[in-house]
Amino acid sequence: MTAFTGCAGGASLVVRDFTCRYTDPPAPALAGVSLAVAPGELVAIMGASGAGKSTLLRCINALVPALVPAVCDGEIRLGAQPLLGVEVGDLGGRVAMVFQDFEAQLFSTNVRLEVAFGPGQLGVEPGEIAARVERTLALVNLADCGDRDPSTLSGGQKQRLAIASILAMEPEVLLLDEPATDLDPIGRREFYAALESVRGKRLVLLAVEHEVDPVLRADRLVLMSAGRIVAAGPTAALVRDVDLFTACGVRPHDLAVLARRLGCDLPLDVDGAVAALRARGVPESARTAPAAAPAGRTAAAAPPILEVRGLARVYEDGTHALADVSFTLGSGEFVALIGQNGSGKTTLAKHLNGLLRAEVGEVRLDGADLGALPLERVAREIGYVFQNPDHQLFAATVADEVAFGPRNFGLAGEALAARVDETLAAVGLAAVRDEDPCLLRKGERQRLAVATVLAMAPRVLILDEPTTGLDYPQVRAMLELLARLHAAGTTIVVITHSPWVVVEYAERALLMRRGRLVFDGALGELLDDEPLLRSAAFEAPPAVRVARALGIAARTVDELVRALESED
Amino acid sequence: MHELILMWRNTRMVVLTAMCASFYAAVLIPFLVVPIIPGVTHFRPANALPVVCSFLFGPAAVWGAAIGNLIGDFFTGLGPGDLFGFIGNFLYALAPYRLWRACASSDPVPRTPTAWLLFVVVVVTGAGLCAATVGFGLQVLGFVPFAVLANVVIVNNSVTALVLAPLLLAVLYPRVRRVRLLHGDIMGPHPAPSTVRLVLGVGLAIAGALVAFVGGNCAAVGVLPPSFVAATPDLTLAVIVLPGLALAAAGLALL
Amino acid sequence: MALSLYFDRSSWLHRRHPIAKVLVLVLLFFAAFLLADPLPLACLFVLVFAVTASARALPVLHRMRWLMIPVFFFTVIIWTLFYPATAGAPVDRWAALRYGLAMALRLETFLATGFVFLATTTIEEFAFALARLGVPYRAGFVLTLAFRLVPVFFEAALTVRDAQRCRGLDFASGSVATRIARYGPVIVPVFIGGLRRADQMAFALEVRGFSAGRPRTSLPRPGIDAGDLWLLATGVAIAVATLVVP
Repeated sequence: MTAFTGCAGGASLVVRDFTCRYTDPPAPALAGVSLAVAPGELVAIMGASGAGKSTLLRCINALVPALVPAVCDGEIRLGAQPLLGVEVGDLGGRVAMVFQDFEAQLFSTNVRLEVAFGPGQLGVEPGEIAARVERTLALVNLADCGDRDPSTLSGGQKQRLAIASILAMEPEVLLLDEPATDLDPIGRREFYAALESVRGKRLVLLAVEHEVDPVLRADRLVLMSAGRIVAAGPTAALVRDVDLFTACGVRPHDLAVLARRLGCDLPLDVDGAVAALRARGVPESARTAPAAAPAGRTAAAAPPILEVRGLARVYEDGTHALADVSFTLGSGEFVALIGQNGSGKTTLAKHLNGLLRAEVGEVRLDGADLGALPLERVAREIGYVFQNPDHQLFAATVADEVAFGPRNFGLAGEALAARVDETLAAVGLAAVRDEDPCLLRKGERQRLAVATVLAMAPRVLILDEPTTGLDYPQVRAMLELLARLHAAGTTIVVITHSPWVVVEYAERALLMRRGRLVFDGALGELLDDEPLLRSAAFEAPPAVRVARALGIAARTVDELVRALESED
Repeated sequence: MHELILMWRNTRMVVLTAMCASFYAAVLIPFLVVPIIPGVTHFRPANALPVVCSFLFGPAAVWGAAIGNLIGDFFTGLGPGDLFGFIGNFLYALAPYRLWRACASSDPVPRTPTAWLLFVVVVVTGAGLCAATVGFGLQVLGFVPFAVLANVVIVNNSVTALVLAPLLLAVLYPRVRRVRLLHGDIMGPHPAPSTVRLVLGVGLAIAGALVAFVGGNCAAVGVLPPSFVAATPDLTLAVIVLPGLALAAAGLALL
Repeated sequence: MALSLYFDRSSWLHRRHPIAKVLVLVLLFFAAFLLADPLPLACLFVLVFAVTASARALPVLHRMRWLMIPVFFFTVIIWTLFYPATAGAPVDRWAALRYGLAMALRLETFLATGFVFLATTTIEEFAFALARLGVPYRAGFVLTLAFRLVPVFFEAALTVRDAQRCRGLDFASGSVATRIARYGPVIVPVFIGGLRRADQMAFALEVRGFSAGRPRTSLPRPGIDAGDLWLLATGVAIAVATLVVP
């Protein structure tokens, strides 16, 4: 075994003119990438999916080409030690990585044992392992959870446990591959708080992120596209380059867009921006003229499809999954169902389509008791798209996948073929109708999942977090699809954690907290209720918060700009 | 047999073993619907999985089926019988890919009548070995008579595997190949044994399975000629079944 | 849904060294296997029951009553019917029933012993004991990892089943073959989901030093103490006693 020796800590990571090409199947991945990260520095990498971000991290970690066949050229080194061509096992935990999928990186049924796993593999002396376990658990704020089974932790806790397990190996480089993508807003906040406490440790930190908000704390930002580094520089400067972000398929920061549109310089934090805008002067008319609610944006005017009355559900362990939930869903609405993980959103949604039967209270579909209807009948009316598209795709081709539902409901022959064509055209997948669903990109698989439900021609479409894990262009494509379906008359209920999705697309909001429906009304009203939002850990997008602070009822950057530039 | 040991050095194969095992156990548990023999065996659609995994992941599936069955047993009672369940499922997943690899060069997705015939032979051989092992073990331990359990196991395993496995393989095999996770992709191609060895191996495996299963049934219902009958029924069963299993295992080891 | 039988409590049995527990488990299996009469088997069963109670693990037997009760009656009936009669001689119905009863008690003892072991021993302790008793590290690791993944796949299987039910998949009608075939749309997505995870899991293992090739260590563990030796001695005594019981 080659000894991997180097000074303990304090070495810089250097990537120079690095090129990587996968060989099986052949595909170019990285071209001429150069990057240097000093210890104590946090560098964020952003870009659309397929830009090469993950490949870069895997090359630094020697996973590529050791475990994935690839031809690599150039230089990667940590201090004086070259990393290219080293076996992962010989890195001795000096270069470590936290992955997006927390279930794929936890191997034990006990938190302490999980943290002890890595040092144990490296042969660290038992007493020292015990000390490291306690130290790292305290660092990521999990000291109380040492005896628990990781499977009982929340997503945010699992991901912090993953960091602790890595830190216990005392690495010099910590790579983070979209670590917060699968977390809810609270989980994200906890995760980044934990990461902050790691920053003081003179570690080289390199993180891949989709969202720009958490990235603001990074020292430097790297934008990648098609295997190349398009731009790199101090975060504060680069994050203002709105065009560059858009070109790289990353959603730019709201306030950067605002500053650019107003042609002025704004701080990127809400308070700072509000102060700057106030100093600049806010026209009186902006305040008096709330952005008019577009027609149809008011709730419950339409004929009701679903009526929920006094719905409650208690789990076996006594927790109230739902308590006294009542509301009416009208035809043609676009509703956002929001709330923290565990607040009862999914449980509620499953009552709406008959997967769960009402135990207390009732759900009525067109006035009839939904619980008394067979699931097949309800499923045809109320379509439910599960969170993970991979939980429903099984067929050999895209067209077969779409045909499955309607065929089960008795459609056949030309009617079936026509339905499939129509649905594929609606979701923009007609060109890949004969492809294997598993070969599609994540965004396409998500749209296919929608298509499989859409093909049953439901009047209501319920979507459980349809944008999780998608990059910005894919999210946009998904949302435009929903907007089109809505315009064509489908009632949409979307469960989401993404504030801007709620704000830009929904008309009405249902906010759940600990099993109760704590808000039901027009979105604008919800945005006005700052304490309620905070109590539900829902943070409106920066542009909305700035607008509210200025007394403007704008929901998008566009509306805000229009209000600010209106003449008195 | 070499690859059954070598695979433990490969991290991917280790992960796939755990995947096969947990997957088998996880699908076993929620679909434990109809108990055929309470506490001993259920009608288990999941029993198609060791066959599917065998063709895809080879040695990882062999260990995975054995360990997965063990974990399934954790939820329905750990006991000395689990040792036989371990060996039985080991053989159940070992036979299909070894025999198919020896007899055919095509993908294990039956489409032609010949391919179907071969598919039935390899699956039933594996099921027979599993049935004989489990039936023998649980009779000797006093759980269930061989004549009952062995026949239940062979029918359950063969029916679920012959119905589900071709469907699943048609969809999964090309996909697993595309992501390069077939056992041949991970561990490298298997060097073809000599023709003599192939014929001997296949012959021994099938003959051994026949002896163990059919012979075992004959012994259990007492229709053997007196020269085969030993002092006790259990001993008679052992004299027939164990050599049959040993022959089959030797045959499979040659492939 | 609790898939594990482990009861996280602190009893004298929970605290015993896993090697001692594994060895006693084997000794008790051995003892139950050697006994062939209902009375001594019933004594052994009562003993195991008492141990379960003292380890505050009785709820596990209660939870498994759906299994243990039918198994008892089924075993009595089937072995009474399949009583190994001597060819030609008339069947002694009373002996057959005694035999059936003994088999059922033996099976119940096996089950109860296994349950109390699982209720008081974590999977990691079990794997650790196996490693100390000569099972290769990686095999024990696969056992732990698979055990940890079961709930993950189980959840996935339930979700997929719901998702396909929403698309009109009906598990309750049709011939046996069609019903079996309907599991395809459930199994495929769960399987593919697992595959998507497999590579990342292999990567994550490598990152954690799985192939570092150094001698492995672990958190400090208490060694074998007097209590463990007593437990072992009792186990050996029971096994020896069964050898001399007529």
